[in-house]
Amino acid sequence: VLSDEEKRKQYDAYGEEGLKDGHQSSHGDIFSHFFGDFGFMFGGNPRQQDRNIPRGSDIIVDLEVTLEEVYSGNFVEVVRNKPVARQAPGKRKCNCRQEMRTTQLGPGRFQMTQEVVCDECPNVKLVNEERTLEVEIEPGVRDGMEYPFIGEGEPHVDGEPGDLRFRIKVLKHPVFERRGDDLYTNVTISLVEALTGFEMDIAHLDGHKVHVARDKITKPGAKLWKKGEGLPNFDNNNIKGSLIITFDVEFPKEQLTNEQREG
Amino acid sequence: MRGGCRLLTVLLLALLRGICRGREPAPGAVTCGSVLKLLNTRHSVRLHSHEVKYGSGSGQQSVTGVEASDDANSYWRIRGKSDGSCQRGTPVKCGQAIRLTHVNTGKNLHTHHFPSPLSNNQEVSAFGDDGEGDDLDIWIVQCSGTYWEREDAVRFKHVGTEVFLSITGEQYGHPIRGQREVHGMPTANHHNYWKAMEGVFIKPSMDPAKHDEL
Repeated sequence: VLSDEEKRKQYDAYGEEGLKDGHQSSHGDIFSHFFGDFGFMFGGNPRQQDRNIPRGSDIIVDLEVTLEEVYSGNFVEVVRNKPVARQAPGKRKCNCRQEMRTTQLGPGRFQMTQEVVCDECPNVKLVNEERTLEVEIEPGVRDGMEYPFIGEGEPHVDGEPGDLRFRIKVLKHPVFERRGDDLYTNVTISLVEALTGFEMDIAHLDGHKVHVARDKITKPGAKLWKKGEGLPNFDNNNIKGSLIITFDVEFPKEQLTNEQREG
Repeated sequence: MRGGCRLLTVLLLALLRGICRGREPAPGAVTCGSVLKLLNTRHSVRLHSHEVKYGSGSGQQSVTGVEASDDANSYWRIRGKSDGSCQRGTPVKCGQAIRLTHVNTGKNLHTHHFPSPLSNNQEVSAFGDDGEGDDLDIWIVQCSGTYWEREDAVRFKHVGTEVFLSITGEQYGHPIRGQREVHGMPTANHHNYWKAMEGVFIKPSMDPAKHDEL
């Protein structure tokens, strides 16, 4: 939905001259021979009901996070360099719009014409300014969640700036697979271990070791549930999902020698 | 704690920077994952794309240069090659291969053997889907020094066709009146310098598991 709004704002700029404040314009069939397929979207957009305050575009920045960061949380510092409207000498035209004017041609004869009418506003110029923002990656954050920074998007000379939104993209992990708050991993054990039992430590996302001990036979594909060793729940970090370990048994690659058969 | 680390660095400047391991080596550098606008220094226009296709050449989405500094369609995201080599916040080195993904349409800066519509140089388009295109999306950042610094003007040389991302000033008419043609040209000159301008520049983060407590 948002991308529709952004496309619509961009194509306002390509419409008839004089329309400067977020009104939709109908382009009709204007094609230059250099360009085919002039695709754009109109559409009732619920966010801009209030046409009196035009708004700059939102910027969505994908923020890639590792599963380690989802487990422990992290902070990302970001420098935002953006144009800011500052006072400049003189005046400028603003809030330009089309109005119908009625002119009298003679007694009882009137003509209605369309005219571009602008207000006068103090002049502004766009100056680039920088500030540091900090995004917190909260433990348990899910793919697609957004962290908005109000007003840090694109400016609008006649109105408010849009927002800057960081959208979380959780990267695939080489060892663990995430499903909700649970983590899945595969461990390969030898045939001897499968038959006689074993003990091992699995390194978790923050480095702590998960101890696994088996003294019974472990079949290939067997699963072990470790409650509380999954990911923290986003809404309540004290609740953790489970770690599910699937065991794969490695059979010897070559045939056993006679000695090995005896043993 | 992490906050204490930053406080120490601020108070005692470079002296204690060594204690906080992992402090960025190039604080003014462009990093992977950053979103930015690129200004052509010779013609003062920003690299831009939009949902308007070329009517000639490849027919793909067009890439132009615009004068406005507040158009969200001028934002490009810096990414490594598709092998996942460039982690979020890693400074881009001079000579490194990168992709530039147009934020609003998800297409990558791309060039190929098609002529550009106005100047008959090589057409530069935006290609791909959701950030994934093909091998012709890769550009080398050419700059002097070790890292791509934000204040420096750099060149982008295409891997595959060896052209430089350039503007020579030709302007389009309706419906994108005044926008400049962006194309690839084989020679390095003052038309192919670009500078990082507005944007969201991600700094490298500390590894959460290995952070040294102070």
